[in-house]
Amino acid sequence: MEEQVGKIWHNIITRMANSRHPEAAVHLEQVKQTTGILFRALGGDSGLQIESAGTTRHGARRSWLQRLAGTNQQTELAWRDERSLRLPTVVDCFPTPELNRDLYLWLTALATGDSGTEQEWFQKNQQLTAQTLAIYPGLQPRYERLVAAHLKQRTHSDDLPPKEAAQEEAIRNALLNPGSEDHLPLAKHQPQPVPLWLHPAPPLASARITPSIEDEQNNSSKGKSKELEEQHRRQAEQVTKPEQDRGLVAIRMENILSWGEFAKVDRGTEENEELDQAADIAKEMEQFSVTRDGKSTAGRLRFDLDLPAAENDDQILNAGILLPEWDYKSQQLQPDHCRLLPMLATKAEACKLPDHLRKTAKRLRAQFQALAPARTWRRGMPDGSEVDLDAYLRFTTDRAAGHIASADGLYRDLQPGARDLACLLLADLSLSTDTWINDQMRVIDVIRDSLFLFSESLSATRDSFAMYGFSSRRRDPVRFHQLKTFDETYNPQIRGRISAIKPGYYTRMGAAIRHASEILKEQPAGRRLLLLLTDGKPNDLDKYEGRYGIEDTRHAINEAHHLGLQPFCVTVDNKANDYLPHLFGAGGFVVIRRPSELPKRLPLLYARLTRS
Amino acid sequence: MTTLFATQPETAELPFYQPQGDEATLFEHAYRHQLPLLIKGPTGCGKTRFINHMAARLGRPVYTVACHDDLTAADLVGRHLISDKGTYWSDGPLTRAVREGAICYLDEVVEARKDTTVVLHPLTDDRRILPIERTGETLHAPPEFMLVVSYNPGYQNLLKGMKPSTRQRFVGLQFDFPEPDLECRILTGETGIDEARARKLITLANALRALKDHDLEEAASTRLLVYTATLILGGYDPLEACRAAMVEPLSDDCETTSALMEVVQAHWAK
Repeated sequence: MEEQVGKIWHNIITRMANSRHPEAAVHLEQVKQTTGILFRALGGDSGLQIESAGTTRHGARRSWLQRLAGTNQQTELAWRDERSLRLPTVVDCFPTPELNRDLYLWLTALATGDSGTEQEWFQKNQQLTAQTLAIYPGLQPRYERLVAAHLKQRTHSDDLPPKEAAQEEAIRNALLNPGSEDHLPLAKHQPQPVPLWLHPAPPLASARITPSIEDEQNNSSKGKSKELEEQHRRQAEQVTKPEQDRGLVAIRMENILSWGEFAKVDRGTEENEELDQAADIAKEMEQFSVTRDGKSTAGRLRFDLDLPAAENDDQILNAGILLPEWDYKSQQLQPDHCRLLPMLATKAEACKLPDHLRKTAKRLRAQFQALAPARTWRRGMPDGSEVDLDAYLRFTTDRAAGHIASADGLYRDLQPGARDLACLLLADLSLSTDTWINDQMRVIDVIRDSLFLFSESLSATRDSFAMYGFSSRRRDPVRFHQLKTFDETYNPQIRGRISAIKPGYYTRMGAAIRHASEILKEQPAGRRLLLLLTDGKPNDLDKYEGRYGIEDTRHAINEAHHLGLQPFCVTVDNKANDYLPHLFGAGGFVVIRRPSELPKRLPLLYARLTRS
Repeated sequence: MTTLFATQPETAELPFYQPQGDEATLFEHAYRHQLPLLIKGPTGCGKTRFINHMAARLGRPVYTVACHDDLTAADLVGRHLISDKGTYWSDGPLTRAVREGAICYLDEVVEARKDTTVVLHPLTDDRRILPIERTGETLHAPPEFMLVVSYNPGYQNLLKGMKPSTRQRFVGLQFDFPEPDLECRILTGETGIDEARARKLITLANALRALKDHDLEEAASTRLLVYTATLILGGYDPLEACRAAMVEPLSDDCETTSALMEVVQAHWAK
């Protein structure tokens, strides 16, 4: 009962005190593309990502109603650091969606001018505003609209004590005439936040130990899990605090229980007694550890080095295949140097195509049906439904000119064409694919989606294709996951195997490529394409790193060329430009700059590669 | 079929061309020493205009062939046609250019089928011959004949770039979008727009060019700028002119075009 009354009271009072306009809210997701393009077009660094900023406690005076309700303590501000442009997750401070959207665009334009110089917040923002308006006069009307709407919301200086009133006056003036005020009068409270300006003290991405450590932790955890509701944010906050001061843990027992996963993160830094359990724990932890804090990554790495117990692992198809490896120092192949284990996911249950891919898959299938062999006119046939005029013409002119011409091949015929090609897709499933590329996806998710769309598209063309994944732990074993062989047809079982792929160990590329070449070599097609999907350099725990790994991979690629195969690499590694030409030759690879686009781009790339 | 148009030096006045560097000198040297020329550069940066300009300057006709993926060697060399009296041979643009000692310009040469290289190779080395297999004739190119090819080494052609062995037979020339000052001169010279507006358009174009590879496949070309300036000069609303001639041609994606319009609006005060 008590609790219910409390809840109702909370609801009423928060609604009354709320100065926001949720009905007119604009979410960052909706404007992400627009702001991104605007940012880059106005000279922003294209390497920066647009990310959502967390809320910040502003410490300004609140109305009694807001204090009563315990709301309006925080505000969302924008800033730019060396990694990203941070924009508020939601903007709902203005009554119309147009104004809220304008605020996003304005903040983006403002941030492009920010050179990162250390300067007083008040002067800096005025200067930035003046500068932005001077360079982009088209923003003037938008800025004026925003200022007018914002001034209406600020507490009027008449309602404030004198010192704060002076401060408020200065801010109002600075908004109306940017550059006109050169200092901000001091007052007891912090000034009310100005959503039109950049963050006064943006937390630095690199700074780990700063006085505002709480602030930063809140920011980073919220920034990355922005899909969480307000409620979740609070809880997350309360859990991170005990971690800073372990003594407090005992006090808020209920939180610990509800966020049990956090307790496990701590174990990552401890020594683990039972190695069998390690893999299981690691598996459970994956969902949480990487997003939360840096510490656990190292901890998890140690777990993953151990192979899963046999009963938990995929089915091994045969005793293993011995493969050679190239040693560039002695310039020779070391025979039987690696053992490759073909594996098949046993626990993969047949499944349907994931819902979020269905629309794209349908479109791609329609596009790819156009690639499917259509009936074509074959010219110069000894027999056919119509006369081949070109051939006949050549025949008669030759004869008229006195040449001896043979009369065969003067017809043309409509025959079903064939795309004479086979494609083997080899996906890198090493641990590095566990990296998060944005808030929702890891590299492995992108690879999984790519495999799905790739097979959907290719099954529409009826091209013959196979898919394998690989990872390695030193030279024995190189795990070679069979997803689809050339003989299998694409079916729910295959989909199940695709959805079961998970990040594994390291990247011994050479051995995997050699084995894939062996498989592809057996295909009778005229063109054989070996498509390699990866996110980084070849590497492994032993000497298979740097030059050694690259040279071995290069050798394997050259062998594939000699077998008459066509290797092509698709990578999402942005720094790949320096070693890829060496491995695949210019034109033998493509770097997908935005990994999230890979699933859609891969099938189109295939279409382009196989166009004759 | 082959898109072909020949400009006659007598009738054509010197087309406007603003040199970016010493490309005109290089062209003249190549012409004088019978070296084939390869021009690389993005769409709409002035490759075709340059050739027409140079041809007019040197007083040679140009045979322009816009290559496409169905263009075969026969389209370039020629074929037998049928008439009342039987068949007769009809020269293709390349053969005609060789016979007349003209400039043959193959635009977007990488689009053409692979068998076209067979006829290009003997023409591009010191033999300078064009064997016509069908008629048994072998043409020797006169000193005035010059072969110029161009292509756009952009993303589109990543997988069908020019074969290195073919590329090696040419003298190469790289084109890019001109510096802002130069581009301003081009724009004012080509359309007659005043300098202030021209500068504004160029700043905008450079902002859009920064999006290449990341958001757009192709950059806003000088040609698009000329279109925009022409529309604006004609009295069309500047913002709408930018939309019609600079934004819509760059992308089909609605969200991208609306974002590009935001960029335009930021630059262009009403």
